[in-house]
Amino acid sequence: MSNKGVRNLFIFGSLFFFVILLGLTFDTMSRIDKRAPEITEEVDQGKRLWHKYDCIGCHTILGNGSYFAPDLTKTTANKPVSYIKKFLVNPRKVNPRASMPVLGITEEEAEKIVAFLDWISKVDTNGWPPEPVLAAVPQAMAGGAAVYQKYDCSACHMIGGVGGTSGPDLTHVASRQPDPEWHRRHLVDPASVVPDSAMPPFAHLSEEELNQLVDYLLTLK
Amino acid sequence: MKYKSQKIAQDFYTFAVLLFFVQIAVGIIAAFQFIWPDFFILNFNTVRTLHINALVVWLLTGLMGATYFVVPEESQSELWSIPLARFQFWATVVAVTVVVVGYIWMGLNPQANKFVFGTTLLNEGREYIEAPRWADLLIALSVILFLFNNFMTMYKSRRWTGIQGTLLGGLTFLTLMYLPGMFYTKSMVKDQFWWWWVVHLWVEGSWEVIAGALLAFMLMKVTNAPRHVLERWMYIEVALVLFTGILGLGHHYYWIGTPRYWLWVGGIFSALEPIPLLLMVWDAFRVTREHRVVSNRLGLFYAVAHAIFNFVGAGLWGVIHTLPMVNKWTHGTQITTAHGHLAFYGAYVLLVVSMIYITLPLIRGATEFNTSRGYRSFWWMTISMIFIVLTITGAGMVQTYMERLLGLDYVTVKANYNLWFWVFRAIFGFGFLYGVFLFVVDFFKLGKEPVEVPVKVASETTT
Ligand code: HEC
Ligand code: HEC
Ligand code: HEM
Ligand code: HEM
Ligand SMILES: [Fe+2]
Repeated sequence: MSNKGVRNLFIFGSLFFFVILLGLTFDTMSRIDKRAPEITEEVDQGKRLWHKYDCIGCHTILGNGSYFAPDLTKTTANKPVSYIKKFLVNPRKVNPRASMPVLGITEEEAEKIVAFLDWISKVDTNGWPPEPVLAAVPQAMAGGAAVYQKYDCSACHMIGGVGGTSGPDLTHVASRQPDPEWHRRHLVDPASVVPDSAMPPFAHLSEEELNQLVDYLLTLK
Repeated sequence: MKYKSQKIAQDFYTFAVLLFFVQIAVGIIAAFQFIWPDFFILNFNTVRTLHINALVVWLLTGLMGATYFVVPEESQSELWSIPLARFQFWATVVAVTVVVVGYIWMGLNPQANKFVFGTTLLNEGREYIEAPRWADLLIALSVILFLFNNFMTMYKSRRWTGIQGTLLGGLTFLTLMYLPGMFYTKSMVKDQFWWWWVVHLWVEGSWEVIAGALLAFMLMKVTNAPRHVLERWMYIEVALVLFTGILGLGHHYYWIGTPRYWLWVGGIFSALEPIPLLLMVWDAFRVTREHRVVSNRLGLFYAVAHAIFNFVGAGLWGVIHTLPMVNKWTHGTQITTAHGHLAFYGAYVLLVVSMIYITLPLIRGATEFNTSRGYRSFWWMTISMIFIVLTITGAGMVQTYMERLLGLDYVTVKANYNLWFWVFRAIFGFGFLYGVFLFVVDFFKLGKEPVEVPVKVASETTT
């Protein structure tokens, strides 16, 4: 083929693929909104705040962004909203070891950001992020450990290296807090013993569950 | 240098080279923040923004400088307007400086990023295209002036060579692909959809076309290889780049809320993207084998290294995580960072540096220059980059395994299991910075210091 021939192949071939891309884009645009909940005014304002504070400069969302901080696609599915709001306003007060700085987010702003994060968590992402396939299958546990498991305390707490980092490590909690009465009150209404606590209240536990859980916590010396 | 207007390239190069140094210095700060988050007065997000914006801006100014050299050379005439080029240069410098001051201001006081006329004043809060809307418009204006100047040069001389045609075609495509990043959408899914148009169709579309054209130009300049053969291969390379790269865009549409058919489109087309990059490597070796008389060995050395690391960083490190069944686990992990670094380094950092080493001696009228600093700079940068990429690939594998497969907490993996990887990255960062330092010194001294005649060792037969 002459140089002119290859040149034309380059130009018209590329245009051909670009036209296909435009077609697919057009089709995708007509489907995106059906794969997610409706965008309310609050969600939109939350998105604008997301941009204002440049959250993407540290976090990923839908897996895109920066890799300095956890992905926020499923945040509201994993953490209670009350906790997230407090965290956004002042991460270091909620979690003294937090790396996220205090950005000056107000409570109203936190409300909107959470609405946005909640919207994101409901987008149909073709199954991403996937469930961890190699995660240890939780063994059937008895007593307080089972209650701990049932209420997913490990989303925020760590025991023996397993669990989340949003709340304090509980591996030796009984050495710090040996008083069963304290734990009982704390679990039912954390703010009654720890002013302004960001831990969600577990007032819906049955009396028996509460007893077992407190007994379990006291074994963690 | 044949045309005195080509001298303008030097201004662009100078700005690019200085920003390169800033980019790396800031990158090291970001690396330390992985170990101590409060290491610096600015938060990580601001430091990172400075790092990647400095990168994109210096690469673009470097490419502009290169274009101002190539177009007069190819159309065999002076540039259409030198004052316009000079104005465009200073407009770029001023706009970039103001934007950087804005980033720093916002870094010190996040509340300063207010909404004005519905958009943010200082930072758009979107990766790579953080520059606020008013700056987008200034940047677009500057690029349009730049394109206009070059088109007029070609138009006036009526010499359309394949190389400059492809180069300007790539630059026009680049400019057009900035536009999808310039409007607000309420849906975060659509936001990311258009954002990837910009980012992907830049690095895997238009920039790669520019790289193909400049590679042909460089090989022709330093080896005197015949134009028609070089241009033929160039057309084939850039054609394959776009045939695979345009629909390869789909590899970013697997998990962001877009329909499932993108898994097929993206998987198939992006898996083919390494082919044109491999062809470029083969092309570079073909030319060096067939044409032994080389006018600028260091320049050719960098050009060949660019072709190789373009293939390794973009092609290999890209293809390993591009299929949906892999990407499902690695998406948004440090694997992506490793790929991003090696791809940008190989494809575009080495491209601009090789263009500088090939055109600067001509601009300064130096038929010979000292090359030892240039080689040392290459090895410091490249070896450090390889180690940075290996460390971060390690961190990415640990993260993928522990967080994505075992289900451990993100913060735990980052703070405990990956800590040593962060430490090593920061250390190798200094090696890279030293390489850049050598390059900056070389840039300012090239052709201005007496050429050292290599002292022949008296005898090789030492006992
Ligand atoms: C300077 C970097 C940085 C910025 C900017 C930042 N974050 Fe964070 N964020 C972090 C880090 C790091 C963590 C992990 C916990 C920790 O160590 O603080 C985190 C944790 C979080 C969490 C808790 C996630 C979980 O699963 O427990 C939420 C929610 C969050 N960030 C939301 C946001 C939002 C919304 C913004 C923007 C308004 C934002 N962050 C801006 C660094 C940042
Ligand atoms: C959304 C996150 C979250 C969840 C879920 C959560 N906690 Fe907490 N927890 C916290 C935070 C934050 C603190 C620190 C503030 C405080 O002491 O109330 C805390 C504190 C504690 C403490 C006191 C630790 C100390 O050293 O003072 C205990 C004990 C505790 N949690 C137990 C539990 C148990 C048991 C569960 C499950 C039923 C649970 N937490 C669920 C966030 C959480
Ligand atoms: C010179 C060319 C290239 C450059 C400069 C480049 C650069 C990048 C960068 C910087 C990112 C991260 C974007 C972000 O910050 O979110 C990225 C992502 C990605 N790149 Fe490339 N790339 C190039 C070519 C390729 C090629 C040829 C392939 C495939 C064969 C590829 C596959 C990918 C994939 C799959 C991702 C997404 C990673 C994820 O899911 O997190 N890239 N690229
Ligand atoms: C020329 C060399 C370099 C290039 C082309 C480059 C490019 C990039 C790019 C494209 C990104 C954003 C995309 C991504 O994270 O995938 C990035 C982020 C980053 N870079 Fe660089 N970089 C270079 C050198 C360095 C050096 C020397 C260091 C420090 C040792 C460094 C540290 C970082 C850090 C810490 C981030 C943030 C990564 C994250 O979010 O996890 N970079 N760089
Ligand atoms: Fe891509």
